[in-house]
Amino acid sequence: MRPLDEKETSAVFEKLFKFVGNNLKNVVENPSHEGPDANPGRYCFRLHKNKIFYASESLVKRATNVARPSLVSLGTCIGKYTHGGSFHLTVQALNLLAAYAKHKVWLKPQSEMSFLYGNHVLKSAVDRLTENIAPGDGVVVFSISDVPLGFGVAAKSTQDCRKLDPNGIVVLHQADVGEYLRMEDEL
Amino acid sequence: MEMEDEKRSNFDVDLGNLMAFDSYHTFPSETPLSREELMKQCLLKGTHLVQAIADALFTLPSTQDVDGPLVTLPPPLTKLPRAKHLPKPKPPTKWEAFAKKKGIQKRKKDKIVYDEQSGTWKRRFGYDRANDEDAVPIIEAKPTDDPKDDPFAKRKENKKKRIEKQEKNRLQNLKEAAKFGALPSHVQLAATALPITGTQAAPKKVTKDELGNVAGIAATATASGGKFDKKLAGEKPQQHQGKYRKFLPVVEGSGIGSQEREQTEKILNKIISKNSHDILNVEKAVRMHNVKKEKKRRSEKGKASPTDRKLKTQKKSFKKGSFKKGKANGK
Repeated sequence: MRPLDEKETSAVFEKLFKFVGNNLKNVVENPSHEGPDANPGRYCFRLHKNKIFYASESLVKRATNVARPSLVSLGTCIGKYTHGGSFHLTVQALNLLAAYAKHKVWLKPQSEMSFLYGNHVLKSAVDRLTENIAPGDGVVVFSISDVPLGFGVAAKSTQDCRKLDPNGIVVLHQADVGEYLRMEDEL
Repeated sequence: MEMEDEKRSNFDVDLGNLMAFDSYHTFPSETPLSREELMKQCLLKGTHLVQAIADALFTLPSTQDVDGPLVTLPPPLTKLPRAKHLPKPKPPTKWEAFAKKKGIQKRKKDKIVYDEQSGTWKRRFGYDRANDEDAVPIIEAKPTDDPKDDPFAKRKENKKKRIEKQEKNRLQNLKEAAKFGALPSHVQLAATALPITGTQAAPKKVTKDELGNVAGIAATATASGGKFDKKLAGEKPQQHQGKYRKFLPVVEGSGIGSQEREQTEKILNKIISKNSHDILNVEKAVRMHNVKKEKKRRSEKGKASPTDRKLKTQKKSFKKGSFKKGKANGK
């Protein structure tokens, strides 16, 4: 477990910025009230075995007591570094992203399952979506009852989506809560 | 006293080399002397010899100086052998060969020459020399001159060319001399290191540090990267190549460290400022503007004929009622 270096930090922040925009400041400076410490600490990012964890200070401090090989996880794993060296967000980051999301898409109830099986979001599945989405922006996918289901990358801007045919892809799938079942051993 | 005089006459003194020796001295050969005895005898003999030189020096005519009497030594009598062999004669340079063929004689020139421009006498060569072409501030143009040519630049270029030519000739002569082995060793090295063709710059010498590291570089060919190789005497441990990675401490003080905080702050600001142009969404602004314009136009249209409208609506209501009635009846 170690803090991120400058290059890694900017990779992680840039990825998060796509989803949360200027809320990134809140994500980084989020006060944590975990642990018995009197003054609230902050959440910080730590790298451990190629995975990026978002954990409170007090937790990190306590985790230093565990030897590196035996430490499995701490806090929330928000992403991982692939073998090729690029950073990917994982499903566990969903709660964090959903709380601060800038761009959102709500799905129709009948097409939720399709998304949870790992398919892209089609125009016909979209109930409504926030304004000002540009292609390439990070989008968090919600069910109609505001339950976060996953996230992805916008394929089309909001304007273009209006004119899109029903089978056109609106959001490219990146992660969904179905992965908790499908890829249980990998997470 | 008599005996000393006799001794002195026996010594050969060469004042030019400040040297004296006793050519009649013999060591007893039948009973070899001990080391101490021999040393004592040598010292004694040496003292006598030095005394002989001193005596001879003081007999010479001297002049008084601040430091004492000053004596001019006679030319040396003994011929000493040379430490090094005589230098070989250099082969004639190209010019020397040419001059000999044409019968050109070397003539001494005056160091000082009359300078026509300033009307003074100046040195022939060097700084502030006489009749210096480069110091002419104005060059008169001839009618045949091309106005595009810069005569000053041309003059500079010509001089550069002359210098280059001379340097080339000098190196050529040096190389020729090196073939004969007529150069002192240091000059020879410099001359033979010059490339025959191509660039004139001499090849760069490998520094001592670089040479020391060659062994280290070679050692990386082994599987252990030279870690378990047998070290030669005086061989330095190989240098670590590349940088060591350095990370911030995992926990500093009560949690997140000031350095880490600073780093995240820096990157956060960088990212936010990089995307700050997103604050103005042009598309949305245009849309808003259009909508507003539309609304304004609509409201203006309505305001333009308020009385007309009122009448119309009244009329309409009347009509509508009648129409509806009619329709209903029809149904």
